[in-house]
Amino acid sequence: MNPTAISDETLHAFVDGQLDIADSEALIACLRADQALAQRVCSLRSLKSMVRLAHAEPPPATGALPRPSRIRPRLQRLQRCAVGCLVLLAGLIAGWGLRGGVEAETHAQTPLTALDGYQPVSLAQQPDPNRIVLHLDSDDPTRMAAVLDRAEALLDEADRQGRAIELEVVANSHGINLMRAGVSPHAARIARMTQRHANLHLVACSQTIARFTGQGQKVELLPVAQAAPTAIGEIVSRLQQGWTYVKV
Amino acid sequence: MEAQRPVLYRIAYAWCHDPALADDLVQEAMAKAWARRAQLREEAALKAWMVSIMNHCWLDYLRGQREFDDIEQMHDTLESAGDSPEVCCNREQVIACVRAAVARLPMGQRQVLTLVDLEEFGYAEVAEILEIPVGTVMSRLSRARASLKLMLDQAAKRHGAQPMLRRVK
Repeated sequence: MNPTAISDETLHAFVDGQLDIADSEALIACLRADQALAQRVCSLRSLKSMVRLAHAEPPPATGALPRPSRIRPRLQRLQRCAVGCLVLLAGLIAGWGLRGGVEAETHAQTPLTALDGYQPVSLAQQPDPNRIVLHLDSDDPTRMAAVLDRAEALLDEADRQGRAIELEVVANSHGINLMRAGVSPHAARIARMTQRHANLHLVACSQTIARFTGQGQKVELLPVAQAAPTAIGEIVSRLQQGWTYVKV
Repeated sequence: MEAQRPVLYRIAYAWCHDPALADDLVQEAMAKAWARRAQLREEAALKAWMVSIMNHCWLDYLRGQREFDDIEQMHDTLESAGDSPEVCCNREQVIACVRAAVARLPMGQRQVLTLVDLEEFGYAEVAEILEIPVGTVMSRLSRARASLKLMLDQAAKRHGAQPMLRRVK
């Protein structure tokens, strides 16, 4: 794949997961070599996240002022009653059917050997082994090293198996020290890893940054790290998109 | 079917940016879906099928609003009313800012963008839902993201505000 000939449409298809594995891998190889191209992908991903976050929680309709319905007012009331009754019945049946099954679904084990000893959480029936978010909230040296070890193991495992994966390390609280320029004990390792793996993303919590700044600390992130409004929001939206969550 | 309600509402809101209208659209789509439930062949396609029904409700609504306008033309021109993205600046308002920018996209682009970004529909599914060719899905998405980036960059530049996701260095 010639990096200069990569169209915007191809990059969009890549960030939307619409390229097949062969094309994805070819593009990932180009991304490793071409900083400007990686920047374009990064900016598209940011844009996608912003659109998603901005619409994750639309304002509730119930707060609206009473108004005449704009769509077929005559049928509206009857339809609402009918649908409401059916929905209640369906909900009761579904609720009964799902009882006791929730625990098994949300805490199902992933077959990933790279995550041995950790508890992956997913909202899907089977945790997705190809989209994983690792969460770090401590600057304990063993945990900072562990999060990078896990990330590297997952990326290497996927490379070996020829899977295209997306991996995001989300840090908040003292965990953001992993991503702070001049503070992180692993800056060189992180630079090496992101250079090798274009599908590795580092995301720091803006609220934590604001809190540290408020305490008089100057917080500068590593160039490869991005800031999200909140770590929890990032994690929740990833879970909603079907990602697998692992607390390190 | 009820489990799709929050999904439909999120999409409807992203299309019209009006909570009351979004609620009406969802209600209408759910009623129609229930009435036509026999037409659904595969359970797995439920979400896409319901979104497709809601798309028809949305187009019907737009036709009702502008009876003499060409609906195809509107796909390229219609913008939601509301603040321009330049109005919003600080970080607390970034969500409103992104919504405002999305609302300013032509309706056809806005629909494609929200289906792909919010609900992670594949391009082929979006093409089926909106009854347009896959190539059109890709070109609308590309144009939508380019305009969105431009609007958000301009807004950020004008106010020297932090965008929601940024590189700190």
